[in-house]
Amino acid sequence: MKHRLKDIVWLAGRDYRNEWQMSGFFVLALAAVLGPMMILFALKFGIIGSMLDNLIEDPRNREIHPIGSGRYDPAWIEQLRARPEVSFIMPRTRSIAATIDLDSDSSKRIISVEMIPSGQGDPLLSGRRSPVATDELVLSRSAAEKLKAQVGDVIDGSLARRYLGRSERVHLKLKVVDIAGPASFSRDGAFTSLTLLEHAEAFRDGHAVAEYGWVGSSQSEQERYYPSFRLYTDSIYNVGRMSDALNKLGIEVTTRAADIEIVRNMDRNLSLVFWLIAIIGLVGFSFSLGASLWANVDRKRKELSVLRLVGFRTGEIVWFPVIQSTFTAILGWSTASLIYLGVSYSINRLFASQMQSGEQLCRLLPQHYAVALALTLGFAVLAATLAGMRAARIEPSEGLREI
Amino acid sequence: MTAVTTQPGHAPAASLTGDRVLIYHLRDVVKTRQAEGTAFRLRVPSLQIALGEKIALIGESGCGKSTLLDMLSMILKPSEIGSFRFRPERGADPVDISRLWEKNQLNQLGDLRRLRIGYVMQTGGLLPYLSVRENISLSRRLLDMPDDGLVEELAADLGIKQHLDKLPHKLSVGERQRVAIGRALAHRPSIVIADEPTASLDPIAAERIMSLFIELVDELHITVILASHAWRHINRLGLRHLEHHTERAHDGSMTETVVTG
Repeated sequence: MKHRLKDIVWLAGRDYRNEWQMSGFFVLALAAVLGPMMILFALKFGIIGSMLDNLIEDPRNREIHPIGSGRYDPAWIEQLRARPEVSFIMPRTRSIAATIDLDSDSSKRIISVEMIPSGQGDPLLSGRRSPVATDELVLSRSAAEKLKAQVGDVIDGSLARRYLGRSERVHLKLKVVDIAGPASFSRDGAFTSLTLLEHAEAFRDGHAVAEYGWVGSSQSEQERYYPSFRLYTDSIYNVGRMSDALNKLGIEVTTRAADIEIVRNMDRNLSLVFWLIAIIGLVGFSFSLGASLWANVDRKRKELSVLRLVGFRTGEIVWFPVIQSTFTAILGWSTASLIYLGVSYSINRLFASQMQSGEQLCRLLPQHYAVALALTLGFAVLAATLAGMRAARIEPSEGLREI
Repeated sequence: MTAVTTQPGHAPAASLTGDRVLIYHLRDVVKTRQAEGTAFRLRVPSLQIALGEKIALIGESGCGKSTLLDMLSMILKPSEIGSFRFRPERGADPVDISRLWEKNQLNQLGDLRRLRIGYVMQTGGLLPYLSVRENISLSRRLLDMPDDGLVEELAADLGIKQHLDKLPHKLSVGERQRVAIGRALAHRPSIVIADEPTASLDPIAAERIMSLFIELVDELHITVILASHAWRHINRLGLRHLEHHTERAHDGSMTETVVTG
């Protein structure tokens, strides 16, 4: 004869509903354990997650900055560019020569800005246009505000030098192709092509620049050297390896690797603390559920033996407490999820002003809900199995004549 | 120790004698129970119960009625079995119960119980979380029997139709016994076994329910075995008494009951 599992599910469900006070108590007890655990995990996940996101999203964390100045030739730079972990590299000219005075029609002010060598793929300009031609630039946010410049404006740039005892100033028209985000560069600055920087450096050194008709001595034909470079790795996790490689070449660099390591350590330690609390809570809960199911078998001895008497098999009786604790697990998990949703909504509103838009302090992914359900079910079924095996040992004749 | 020496004649090997089909055919079945220095033994040298028979087992409590009923309803394993055959309907092959016990095939015994046996307990034994209707039709539900109106009909006959959708705790003890009788009959079993079904009722209600029970059993052509200690009104219902007598050892260490019939 076929199994009567559906009947056992039905009977267990009716019993569960009939004893709704008892069932409700266990659902609430589970929610009281699981709810705070979900909130705790969501806080850990949200806080560490947004810290890591900030680290990952902020390209400055991928920057490797050489200390002091060196002599790097273009071939060496190209060699670095070919490495897989390098996402962007751009040589720098001497910083003393890398300033330009900017003047726009819409503002009376003339400001002196740093020029940053840039180009296609600059991480600081991700999602924006990069300066490609020599007459293009991208203004930093503060520079753009001071100049009241808009994208598409053509502004005046000027360079000054003392040459043969006289002060000289040359002007060139520059087109604002974009304005950088506030986080990209906090001072007054302009992202320009490397060529423009090289021209500016040559002009300051008293050399002639034929492209602009600037007069001066002719440049020596010797190989070009750059004193420094801008280097970004493809991910924060490669910063350490790349800086080690540069250190080996005798190039001292600074990175934010330490910051990254602190956050990753914190993630590991908080996870450990969380799992300790979670396991203690769940084990405690499954003990109390198991004890009550165990006691239930005694309390319901007569009813269970009636089920045996009407023809249920041993293997089917085992399911009775297991199914009931499955109900508790599912209902308790649902209640805990509702508690979590309410609390996380409040927490997120409370901290909304301190967070960047779209960021949440308290956050769970759908798979976290699924893991919580799976764990709860696992512990609940484990707790019920012992009680189920005890129930299965009840003889049909046992409970029949008790009053 | 005083052993009872009644040795009945050997039962006829064939279960069919004329129109008699034996639903139970037991030979030399013994159940021994021991507790704190006293032993109890139930011995059944020979027992034959025919399909459609109405059997009464009358005696004081402690004489072994329940032990016999439990063995007949296949929920208690006998200590020794000569032979134990169960033929639930005319034309069916007899089932060798002794072999099922020997091989510990509890599931087969459970299936047999579910399909063939109805059981009325001393006190209700209703499931508190099911309504009266669900309690009565539980036996049918387990056999996937479609509703043929029998549940309603039984409820009407038993006078509990107005309680069908209530939970058992809303009913009086007598009403609950009626529900229990309904559940034992609803799946049209081959045999109904009732252990003191009216013990917890006042004598008038007990008599009324007992008559009702026997009427229904007659109507549905179900074999019945009824245990009771109150035999006065049982006599009027036309049941066959099972012979049994109990002897105790002088030091009280051993009680033996022998049942034949």
